[in-house]
Amino acid sequence: MSAVGEPLIVVESLHRHYTVGGEVVRALDGVSFGITRGEWVAIVGQSGSGKSTLMNVLGCLDTPTSGTYRLNGADVQGLTDDQLASLRNKEIGFVFQTFQLLPRATALGNVMLPLVYRGVPKRQRRAMAEEALAAVGLTNRLNHRPNELSGGQRQRVAIARALVGQPSMLLADEPTGNLDSATGEEIIRLFSELHHRGHTILLVTHEPKLAARCPRAIRLMDGHVVADGAGAAVAGLGTSAPVPA
Amino acid sequence: MKALAAARRILAETLEGAQIAAENLVAARLRSFLTTLGIVIGVMTVIAIVAIIQGLNKSFEGQIATLGAHTLYVSKWAWFAEGRDAWWELRNRKDLGAKELQAVEREATLATAIAPMAMTQADLKRDTFEAPNVQLIGTNAQYLTTGGGTVGAGRFLAETDVELTRSTAVIGADVADRLFPGLQPGQVLGRKLMIGEVPFQVVGVMERRGQLLGMNMDANAMVPYTAFLRHFGGKRSLNLAVSGEPDNLSALEDQVVEILRRVRRVPPEKKDDFTLNRQEQFLRTYNQLTGSLYAVAFGVGLITLIVGGIGIMNIMIVSVTERTREIGVRRALGARRTTILLQFLVESSIVAAIGGAIGTALGLGLAQVVALASPLAATVSASAVALGIGFSAAVGLVFGSWPAWRAARLDPVEALRHE
Ligand SMILES: Nc1ncnc2c1ncn2[C@@H]1O[C@H](COP(=O)(O)OP(=O)(O)OP(=O)(O)O)[C@@H](O)[C@H]1O
Ligand SMILES: [Mg+2]
Repeated sequence: MSAVGEPLIVVESLHRHYTVGGEVVRALDGVSFGITRGEWVAIVGQSGSGKSTLMNVLGCLDTPTSGTYRLNGADVQGLTDDQLASLRNKEIGFVFQTFQLLPRATALGNVMLPLVYRGVPKRQRRAMAEEALAAVGLTNRLNHRPNELSGGQRQRVAIARALVGQPSMLLADEPTGNLDSATGEEIIRLFSELHHRGHTILLVTHEPKLAARCPRAIRLMDGHVVADGAGAAVAGLGTSAPVPA
Repeated sequence: MKALAAARRILAETLEGAQIAAENLVAARLRSFLTTLGIVIGVMTVIAIVAIIQGLNKSFEGQIATLGAHTLYVSKWAWFAEGRDAWWELRNRKDLGAKELQAVEREATLATAIAPMAMTQADLKRDTFEAPNVQLIGTNAQYLTTGGGTVGAGRFLAETDVELTRSTAVIGADVADRLFPGLQPGQVLGRKLMIGEVPFQVVGVMERRGQLLGMNMDANAMVPYTAFLRHFGGKRSLNLAVSGEPDNLSALEDQVVEILRRVRRVPPEKKDDFTLNRQEQFLRTYNQLTGSLYAVAFGVGLITLIVGGIGIMNIMIVSVTERTREIGVRRALGARRTTILLQFLVESSIVAAIGGAIGTALGLGLAQVVALASPLAATVSASAVALGIGFSAAVGLVFGSWPAWRAARLDPVEALRHE
C-alpha cells in the first residue's frame, strides 16, 4: 500500500524511443504527471501521439527508455521480468480494444486466469471469478465461450477479468473502439460505476464526448503532455479553458 | 506460505497447460494426428520388435530349461562349430562308444547322472497308423535326470530294461497322437508298435514339451540303448549327457575331459577330439542374435523418433505463432516466462506421449498379429510400455523446448499486437 498522500502513479520525464531504420521515433518524449488513488482519467490525443505506448509502460508491459515510474511508492525500473509479471498480476487490470479473451476458455475460465498465475486455490478462484462476473452483470453467462457472447458481453468479461484480482488500477485502451455507440455507452456506464466504487481507472479514448465525462483528462501530442485538467476542458467541449501542462 | 503459494501456482499452471493441450488436441484433431504420426510409427515399430523379442526370450528360456541347465552333452559333434573346427574335422573324429560311457560312469565322481544317447531317425507304425521320421533315442533310466523331460503317463525306462535289453519304449506326445489317435496317454500303455521292423511295447508317454528352435521336441521315442544297439546298429556314435551339481560344473567338465582324453588316447599336444556342449552355448548364440535385433529396434526407434520429434517441433512452432496473441494476453495477466515455457512443454510432451501410447497399442496389436501368423510368440513387459510412452514424452519435451523457449521470449506488447 502506498504511503498516505503518496499518489498511486508518479511518472517523471518518461521517454520511450523506438529506432526504426536508423531513425529515432520518440513515442514518449518527456512525460510527467501523477495519479492518485480513486481517480478516473481519460488519455486523449491524435493517433500516434503515444497513448498506447504510455499505457504499456504504466502497465509494466514495456519499459521506458529513460525517466522514472513509481507505482504505489515503489520504483518500477530495475525490476526483473518475473517481478514485473507479478506486478501486472497484482496491481494492474487490462482492458483491451479487441477484448483479448482466450477463445477456447469459457467466461469463467477467462476470468479465473489471473488467479491461476497468483496461485489461488481452485475453489476460491471460482468463487472470486463468479463474483467478478456478477459485478459486471454476467451471472447467467458463466459457461459461455467468447464466440457465444455479444461484443458488449465480451468486453464485460474482459472487465471482470481485469477486476477479479482487485488491482490498484484498471488500464483500458479504447475499450469502446470495437463497439457500437449504445454498447459503448453501457461499458462507459460500467466504468463510471466502478469509479464510484473507488476503482482507479485510466481510459484511452478518441471520443471527446467520452473524455468530457471523466473528471480528469490528459492530452498527448507527439509524446508530450499538452493538456491536463478537467475532462470536459481537455476534451475541448467544456466552458473552461484547458490547463496547459 | 510463500513457498506453498508458489507450489500451488506451478501446479495450477501445469494443470492449466495440460488442459490447454487437451483443448488444442481436440480442436485440431487431424493436425494432432498427423503431428504424432511419426512418433506413433516409431513407437509401434519398436514395441512390436521388442514384444517379439521378449516373446522369443520367454519361450526360448522355457524351452532351453528342458535341455538341462546343469548337463554337459558330450559328443563327437559341436552344436556351435567355431570357425576353425571345420565340419570334416568333426566328421573325422573317432566315434564315442561303450568304452567312453563305461569310463565316465566308472570315474566321473562329480557326475550326478549319466545317460548315453544313441540317436537315429526311424519310422514308427501301429496297424495302419504311421509316425515317420521320429527321433529315436537309445538311452538309460537317468535320461530324465539329465533334462530329457518328464513322463506324462506310465513310467520311464528302468535299469532292468537296459540290463535285459528289453524291447520297451517311451514315446513322445506327438508320436502317441499319431499312432493312437483319440486315445488318452494312459490308454496307450502296454500297446505294441513297430520301430522299423522291430516290435516294441509302450511303457510310458512323455509330457508335451513343445518346440526348441523350431525343432519338435515331442516327435521322439526312447528305448533302452542296449536294445537300440542291437536293432538299429552299434556303429553309431554315442552322445553322453552328464549332469552335475550346479556349483562345480566346471570341475565336472575338467574331469570328463580328462577321462575322455585318457580313454581315447589323445596326445597331450593335440586338441580334444570330442566336444562338451552346454545349454548356455545356446543362450550365448541366442543372445547374440537378439542383441542384434535389439540394436535394429533401437536404430529404427531412434530414427523414427527423431523424425517424429521434428514433426512435433514443427507443429509447436505453428502453434506458438498461431497463439502469439494468447501468449501476450497471458503475459499481461501475470504469466511469467517460465509459465509460458512450462505450458508449451507440457503441451508438446502430452502430444508426444499420446502418440507414444497409440504407437504402443498398435505395436502390441502388430506383435499379436505376428504371433498369430507365425510360430513366434509375443509378450510385452509393463516396463517396455512405460518406456515407450515415457520416451515419447521425453522426445516431446526435447523437441518442444525450442518452440517453447521462443514462446517464452516473446515481447508481451508485440505479442498482443500480433494479427
Ligand atoms: N514497436 C514500435 N516500433 C516502432 N515504433 C513504434 C512502435 N510502437 C509504437 N511506435 C510509434 O510510436 C508512436 C506512438 O504510438 P502509439 O501506439 O502509442 O500511438 P497511439 O496514441 O496509441 O495511437 P492510436 O490512437 O492510433 O492507437 C507512433 O508514431 C508509432 O508509430
Ligand atoms: Mg493506441
